[in-house]
Amino acid sequence: MIELHDLTKDYKTTLAVDRLNLHVRAGEIYGFIGPNGAGKTTTIRMMGGIIEPTSGAISIGGIDLRKDPVAAKKMIGFVPDRPFLYEKLTGSEFLRFIADLYAVAPRTAARRAEELLRQFALWNWGNEIIESYSHGMKQRLIIAAALLHDPKVMIIDEPMVGLDPEAVRQVRDILKELAKQNVTVFVSTHTLSLAEDLCDRIGVISKGTLLAEGTVAELNRAAKTGNAGLEDVFLTLVREG
Amino acid sequence: MNNAVWTLLQPRLIDAANGFRSRASGIRRLLFLLVGLVFWIGAFLIFYRVLAYFESVQDFGDILAIKLLSMMMLTFFTLLLFSSIINSLSHLYLSRDLSLVHSLPVSVRDIFWARWLGSAFDSSWMVIAFSLPVILSYGWVFQAGPGFYLAAVGAVLCLCLIAAGISSLIVLCGAALLPAGKIRTLFVILGVLLALLLVLVLRLIRPEQLVNPDSFASAVLYLNSMQALDRPWLPTTWITDVMRLSLKGKWGLSGFNLALAASCFLFLLFLNDTLARLLYFRGFSRSQTTAKRLFAPLMYRGISWEFPLGFLSRPARAVAVKEIRSFFRDSTQWPQLFLICALIVVYLYNFSVLPLDRTPISSVYLQNVFSFLNVGLAAFVLSAIAARFVFPAVSTEGEAFWIIQAAPVALKTFLWIKFFLYAIPLLILSEILIVASNLLLGVTSLMMIVSVVTIFCLVPAIVALAVGLGARFPDFKSENPALSATSFGGVLFMLLSFGLIALVIILEAGPVYKIFMARISGHGFSFWTILWLILSFAFALLLCVFAVFFPMKAGEKHLLAK
Repeated sequence: MIELHDLTKDYKTTLAVDRLNLHVRAGEIYGFIGPNGAGKTTTIRMMGGIIEPTSGAISIGGIDLRKDPVAAKKMIGFVPDRPFLYEKLTGSEFLRFIADLYAVAPRTAARRAEELLRQFALWNWGNEIIESYSHGMKQRLIIAAALLHDPKVMIIDEPMVGLDPEAVRQVRDILKELAKQNVTVFVSTHTLSLAEDLCDRIGVISKGTLLAEGTVAELNRAAKTGNAGLEDVFLTLVREG
Repeated sequence: MNNAVWTLLQPRLIDAANGFRSRASGIRRLLFLLVGLVFWIGAFLIFYRVLAYFESVQDFGDILAIKLLSMMMLTFFTLLLFSSIINSLSHLYLSRDLSLVHSLPVSVRDIFWARWLGSAFDSSWMVIAFSLPVILSYGWVFQAGPGFYLAAVGAVLCLCLIAAGISSLIVLCGAALLPAGKIRTLFVILGVLLALLLVLVLRLIRPEQLVNPDSFASAVLYLNSMQALDRPWLPTTWITDVMRLSLKGKWGLSGFNLALAASCFLFLLFLNDTLARLLYFRGFSRSQTTAKRLFAPLMYRGISWEFPLGFLSRPARAVAVKEIRSFFRDSTQWPQLFLICALIVVYLYNFSVLPLDRTPISSVYLQNVFSFLNVGLAAFVLSAIAARFVFPAVSTEGEAFWIIQAAPVALKTFLWIKFFLYAIPLLILSEILIVASNLLLGVTSLMMIVSVVTIFCLVPAIVALAVGLGARFPDFKSENPALSATSFGGVLFMLLSFGLIALVIILEAGPVYKIFMARISGHGFSFWTILWLILSFAFALLLCVFAVFFPMKAGEKHLLAK
């Protein structure tokens, strides 16, 4: 469902992503972990069509993101690492805006918006301007917006930042449920326990290069760390990488 | 200035120094320097010529020069009050870094003064920069010594500081009195008040009377009207007197007026200090509570205001509705909207009082010359409005621009939606201005058609230039995207826009004059003249078409590569 082929992003002063190759199957939850500045957010932003790769290709559901960005983006639900939104719109208005952009049928959009606002405990705040929302509320609203058009692929950068424990559990359950419905989830995170619990496979990136990928057991074999937890595997791989 | 205030000002000063040192901004600095220099020299030459002419008029010359000075000081003071209030509100209550600053171990008083200084500088530098060529021209024409320049600069500084002092007092009291979460409403209230003030001031000084002494029954009445606004309690009177008296070498009286202005400023400092201790933190704390919506959703019998946008495609309508909502819910836009309305009223009123019947030149000829110049003037006004509202249109997406980038909407579509959103209202506004002013002038049908068609071509060109360059030079991280009008891209837009208007006007001037004169004299045109007419108009049209598509493409290309 997601394919990255020799994906590279060179900012001239920094080589953020260096010939990255990945393949994520439909219905899979793929975790993307790495130290600060490893190239996770750059990769995710390229996959979301927000920045252009210097070279290489991204394919979403068989559609080349460079050749047909509009068709590819229709399949994606994108959640960035920081919840920047249109502060002067209300939560409901923002969801309607997203529904219009993604051409969700008006009736479906209205029903889904209500469901999602209730699900993310934002129903009572739906008519308040986003400016007055807390960080966590904005994060929940962005996740709700990303789910509104029933995407085939979810690309999420640091999904749990700013969320309270209840919302963290809720998001985790939603992502698992989405995977069951054959939605592909690509999630970047620093919360290794979340990655370990949630992801079918994990990719470790450092200095723009993929060091290893696979299940926790496969990563343990690659790092030669026996039966260690993901934290030890991660630290070993990054140190040696 | 104590250490804490100085330390609080450091980030701003370091930021400015870093910006100045950066190599990338070399060309930008050069452009700003060039524009500044052209503006200064232009302002100096205009004032020098006007003052030199006044000086040549016996008896009345000096009075007229001082009247002009007093009018300018009053206008400067009004502008300073307007910009100081807006700046104080942002610096003291709404800036993003205030939460961090208030968490630091410094007194509220120090924070207030550090912010006040920043605000006073931001609101005054432009007036000070503009007043320098004015002061120089007065000194030059009236052959003043160095004492005049010192006194005049001191007086203008006092004027700026008095305006900043009054503004911060108003804002301090307003923020303390308004209910929590409603502080932004202050923008709306002030917007209405300032628009009224502007109309009032411009009508009070009645500049058209300067050119028409005959309308007064006697010289005494005329002279009295010249003194009408010089109220002794107005700071602008003291400032004018400082300059007037130092021009005549009356240093004692000039010094007295300067002392009056300085003591007024010091008293305002004392009042600000006292009120800031009592009210500033209280007001700031209230401003931190949840922002409230200014108006309830606009509905009539279940029909929303979005109804007329129904013909648009869904993504286009989504962006349009978002844009309109965000624009009108941002109360910082309101004072400027009201101000534009006030300026339009003054603009049209001025046409109604033009003394065309008292000129030795044929009134039909003059009416049509004015009408043609009016096209250029209206387009320049439109450029200024576009610089303030259209150029920042892409930057106003701010950090939320990722939503558009991640959405299944081509950036090209997004930019064209922005274009139409601004082009349609601005086209309506410009055509109303042109038709109304032409009707007031009573121009011929030929001039009416030329004006309407020219504006119809120029508006899309100017708007596309603003949207395109706004996309080419976006600033998504700015706290106040409206300020991007004074950025490199904003200045470049103004220059290109003025160039385009000038070119179109120049291309049309010859042919329009030829047709106009031929109509009056009843002569026909030769083949070559007809060819020249067609080529001139076609080239003007081509320029406008080019100005629509090229900047839009350049903006799109830049956003895609970002």
